[in-house]
Amino acid sequence: MSGTDATIQGQGAARWLPAVFVLPLGIVLALGFLWPLFDGTVNSFHPFTRAGIDRSTWTLENYAKLADSFYAGILWRTIRVSLIVTLLTAALAYPVALYIVGLSPRGQAFYLLIYMTPWLVNVVVKAFGWSLLLSANGVINQSLKALGIIETSMRLMLNETGIVIGLTHGHFIFVLLPLWAALSGLDPNLRWAAANLGARGWDIFRRVTLPLTLPALMAGLIINFTMNMTAFATPALLGGARARVVSFLAYEVNLVELNWPLGSAMAVAMLAISLLLIWLSLRTASFGSRRVRPEGASP
Amino acid sequence: MILRVFNWVMAAVMLAPLVLIVWMSFTPAAFFRLPTTEFSLRWYREAFNYPGFLNSFLLSLRLAGVSAAIATFLAFLAAYGLVRFRFPGKGALEAFFMSPLLVPGVVYGIAMLQFVNSLGLYNTFWALVLAHIAIVVPYALRPIHAQLRAVPEDLEWAARTLGATRTRTLLRVTFPICARGVLSGFLLAFLISFAEVTVVIFMTGPAYQTLPIRIYNYLTDQIDPTVAAISAMLIGLSLVLILILDRIGGLRPAAK
Repeated sequence: MSGTDATIQGQGAARWLPAVFVLPLGIVLALGFLWPLFDGTVNSFHPFTRAGIDRSTWTLENYAKLADSFYAGILWRTIRVSLIVTLLTAALAYPVALYIVGLSPRGQAFYLLIYMTPWLVNVVVKAFGWSLLLSANGVINQSLKALGIIETSMRLMLNETGIVIGLTHGHFIFVLLPLWAALSGLDPNLRWAAANLGARGWDIFRRVTLPLTLPALMAGLIINFTMNMTAFATPALLGGARARVVSFLAYEVNLVELNWPLGSAMAVAMLAISLLLIWLSLRTASFGSRRVRPEGASP
Repeated sequence: MILRVFNWVMAAVMLAPLVLIVWMSFTPAAFFRLPTTEFSLRWYREAFNYPGFLNSFLLSLRLAGVSAAIATFLAFLAAYGLVRFRFPGKGALEAFFMSPLLVPGVVYGIAMLQFVNSLGLYNTFWALVLAHIAIVVPYALRPIHAQLRAVPEDLEWAARTLGATRTRTLLRVTFPICARGVLSGFLLAFLISFAEVTVVIFMTGPAYQTLPIRIYNYLTDQIDPTVAAISAMLIGLSLVLILILDRIGGLRPAAK
């Protein structure tokens, strides 16, 4: 990168010297990360028999099985719930981000830390906290009953509602943070110019602020959606077997049915989908950074 | 004005489940009934008297300590190689070192379950260590890499021209200068490892239940305030680690 790199080689350092530093980590990751993923992918192309995995024959039947109505139905629920969470998060995070950027640096840091706490607390602990609020005799149902608003408890968890609440809480920061960054990087002159040209509050938001922060919002939303799709502990504890999602099903297939070829096929499918989505999010974000920066304005 | 109230409500929702856990952990009743003003340490006593939780806590500490230490050591070497040398394929290698971030825990957990079984390492400590190193390496690598890039190379050259060997320079000059980045990397790696649920739940055997897994299994069975006491202590522990990280600037790249 700098000129000094060349000097190191100029001083006669051996060619293999960098390998001494990068190879240990490279080998550990190749053994403990790449190999297992490769191995699992290979398993997904073998048939499952009573005796275990039949490694002598190759098949696509595991992938074909994923299209069965039972599996496809659970995939559809997972997509639907993840999408609801993502849209809900967008609607809730935008006003919060708009308010926070107007605060003093201290205030911004304070609130960002508060919104970051769910990410910093263990996912199992969070689910437990929500079950105290949402369960049949949890705080919400107790309070509503005491106030005479409801007679019998509402079902707020062990169904899709529980998953939506838990995931919206847990993955909120991944939309808020990029949104906050985009909003605080916005040139205040743009809003001022729009106001000067006669635009009012809502118009400024709709025609100036929103379009300029849209790439950051989209990138955050895609990441949020990806994490919702592959979350395990939250949907397992707040949704359970009544509202199975793909990751929960993958747990049952791998550890209860012990059908590893099918389990691997599910893993490969999930990996492909999330890599595709992450790539999409990176593209959206880089598209945004190219467009938001006014030409000639960057130092 | 509306925005301000909305922000307060949202902030309250973010903290509500956590506040409730801490509150419940200090009440004597087996069920959480509002309003409650009584105070008791009963569930903390229960938590410490239940050997499962204590053993799992110690296992989690050991696992996070060992994997974070190994990951930080490997990440330091790798960061030094990546920052101080130029060689073909460097960009690809760096991307490879960060790639565990891209793979969902469920996917890696399934792969590790099958891999570890095929090697006969199922239900062993070192299988978990291997998985945790891969999971935490990106978190260790990032701050160390950033710190190494920020430190001028001149100091290392000064040591070399004064006759220090490369190894000696690395240990006595480079490492101390990067200590802050290394510490951030280690603490982040420790935090991530300690909190890992998904990968462990897929691949671990019955003999190695880390604390989050123990809580998970306990919750699928029953809910009583013993879990609240454990959870409250976990919240306290993350709070302490986060304050330390914030002090040494380890959270800054994440917040930007």
